[in-house]
Amino acid sequence: MARRYDSRTTIFSPEGRLYQIEYAMEAISHAGTVLGVLAKDGVVLAAEKKVTGKLLDLSGEGGYGGSGEKIFLLNSNVIGGVAGLTSDANSLVNYARTAAQQHLLSYNEDIPVELLAQRLCDMKQGYTQYGGLRPFGVSLLYAGYDPHYQFQLYHSDPSGNYSGWKATCIGANNGTAQSLLKQEYKDDILVKDAIALVLKVMSKTMDSTTLGSEKLEFAVLTLDESTKQPKAKIYKPSEIDALLRAEGLAKTDGDTEMKSA
Amino acid sequence: MNTFVERFTTNASNGLFCGNGAVEEDEEFSDAMWGSEAGFGSLARGVPSFTVPSVSDPAAFLRLHTDDHADPNCKIKIQHGTTTLAFRFQGGVIVAVDSRATAGSYVASGTVKKVIEINPYLLGTMAGGAADCQYWETYLGMHCRLHELRNRERISVSAASKYLSNLVYGYKGMGLSMGTMICGWDKTGPAVFYVDSDGTRLKGDLFSVGSGSTFAYGVLDQGYRWDLSDEEAQELGRRSIYAAGHRDAFSGNTCNLYHVKENGWNFIGNYDISKLHYDGPGDVAGSPGHGYGYDLRVEGRSSVNAPEAAPAVAAQA
Amino acid sequence: METSFALTGKGYVIVAADTTAARSIVKMKVDEDKIKEISPHLLMAYSGEPGDTVQFAEFVERNIRLYQIRNLYPLRPSAAASWIRRSLADSLRSRSPYSVNLLVGGYDTATHEPKLYWIDYLGTQVDVPFGAHGYGSYFALSLLDRYHDPEASLEEGLATLKRCVDEVAKRLVVSPGRYKVKVVDKDGVREVEI
Repeated sequence: MARRYDSRTTIFSPEGRLYQIEYAMEAISHAGTVLGVLAKDGVVLAAEKKVTGKLLDLSGEGGYGGSGEKIFLLNSNVIGGVAGLTSDANSLVNYARTAAQQHLLSYNEDIPVELLAQRLCDMKQGYTQYGGLRPFGVSLLYAGYDPHYQFQLYHSDPSGNYSGWKATCIGANNGTAQSLLKQEYKDDILVKDAIALVLKVMSKTMDSTTLGSEKLEFAVLTLDESTKQPKAKIYKPSEIDALLRAEGLAKTDGDTEMKSA
Repeated sequence: MNTFVERFTTNASNGLFCGNGAVEEDEEFSDAMWGSEAGFGSLARGVPSFTVPSVSDPAAFLRLHTDDHADPNCKIKIQHGTTTLAFRFQGGVIVAVDSRATAGSYVASGTVKKVIEINPYLLGTMAGGAADCQYWETYLGMHCRLHELRNRERISVSAASKYLSNLVYGYKGMGLSMGTMICGWDKTGPAVFYVDSDGTRLKGDLFSVGSGSTFAYGVLDQGYRWDLSDEEAQELGRRSIYAAGHRDAFSGNTCNLYHVKENGWNFIGNYDISKLHYDGPGDVAGSPGHGYGYDLRVEGRSSVNAPEAAPAVAAQA
Repeated sequence: METSFALTGKGYVIVAADTTAARSIVKMKVDEDKIKEISPHLLMAYSGEPGDTVQFAEFVERNIRLYQIRNLYPLRPSAAASWIRRSLADSLRSRSPYSVNLLVGGYDTATHEPKLYWIDYLGTQVDVPFGAHGYGSYFALSLLDRYHDPEASLEEGLATLKRCVDEVAKRLVVSPGRYKVKVVDKDGVREVEI
């Protein structure tokens, strides 16, 4: 009998729940972790890559504006991190980029971050209501900058809800990560420290014991010193390894986890 | 073309309009153009002649082929774009003009002399049809000289301008296009008269004529005073022509500046308007010491009004 | 003939428009306000085809207000001007285009910069330190080239505007009688007398 309220998203269960949405959320909680921290002078985003393997061709530097799987440049002022079904995510990323360009066309300015989140959420919400549609199995983190509210970090889920955060996490082990972030996060944190925090939390929450570019995606949004325009940097695998070495979190021969202070 | 050309003769008795047969095929130019006495031979002999199209209504014919507002593909495009100005002040008369000749959207020349030196005491400016102005003002010069010979004194600016005004009025409605200022110094002192092909003749202190005149007026009116010094006045004339050369597409290239004083006119200089924009008039009287261009004048100045203690990056709201 | 001016100064934009509403050779009204306050820090002077002007200005006003209601913050002047331009450009390619010329002046509270945009009915938009529409522009622009100062105080700015108004009154055959003048700065918009 439970099936009655499972199979179609548009039907509430007698307890007032929309099961498909909850299942979508469940799917996301098994996906690779994506973690974002808002700093005073920027936003940091990191993601755990799930699709790995010896035979996977990683020789390329990743697709246009991103390292491929989980972190994407949505607009020149917004980086998106996705957790959930990759194919759904690709569709949403494409939608977000189009929405950002449409805003640019109408207003000749970068889309405000919250407005971009709203655009996606309006669509996601639609998929929880109209008949015969399956919700997107994707949560997103939006790390962005606009002149209205400066640096911002938003999270949106399959229901179409969104909220702003100082630091948050989606995907597997997000509970652990959230409580770690709650302990460690300080207001007025700088990007430099936020990077260290993100990597530290990442290393603790990821299933694997070691961090490396084959399992990690990383991006930072800051303001360009000279132009005062947002500058999104999505790290290349080589840069991630360099960063990990600098932070003392790189793999060692003994495959032991290095604990940072 | 000659088959369409018909000569007609004007004199006091038989009126203006007197058509004869068509001229011969090989007689392309009338003796009015090539004859002795500086091309005014027939006129000087008291029988003015002027060739017009041999059609029943030459004015309508001309209108049909020259009105480039109604018909951009018209056969004859008359030079319309110009900026000229002249003003009277304590130190004499300043005459300044641009040097661009346009035919439709085509810049036909950038080195036109739009100040016609009628004689050492009289200047005429050129706006409207270049040929009309050049021809009739040279013709005016001839009569000014005849006046001197006959009356043993120089013609007054008033009389000279009246002569031109009466002359062009005789051709009213036949397609003449002139807007000119007759400037000079006579017994009464500095004088400026505006004369146009409608027959209007106006005495005044300050005039500007041509498509760029509004732009020149904007600067001229705001900077004009009777007690301007010579340097200030020359600078004002130059600056006003620059303004028109900058804003009006049909004016530009260079500025010719004249100053009329008690002992006749002086040519002050020829100034490249681009140079005026970027570098200014150079080491001349009244120069501001920098380019006239807006961007150069306000370089480094900003309308941004940030509060003194604005934080570099505001905290997230 | 309809004439409007606008100029920026240190931390402000002055927008002025004549107050005549004419039909054929008749002045129908001599105190018409042709400058709309479209958001807390945005002014728009409009001129052009009678009927179109007010319709379009109100359309703009309501849409800009809608954006503010939806997003809790108003559009910045550059974004508002871009949106208005696009509306005009889209309208131009429709069956009944709006024939409206605009001067959009605003104060960008994010950058503390006064902004001014000159927009014509064809959808041309230019970011300018000063601008003018109508026959008055033929007299005012060369004057402003000569006298405008981006760092002028409000008093100096109004004096420069006065030059424009006086010049047009002096030289334009059908010069407008009175002008309405509004200022937008960090404190918002207000009307001033010249």
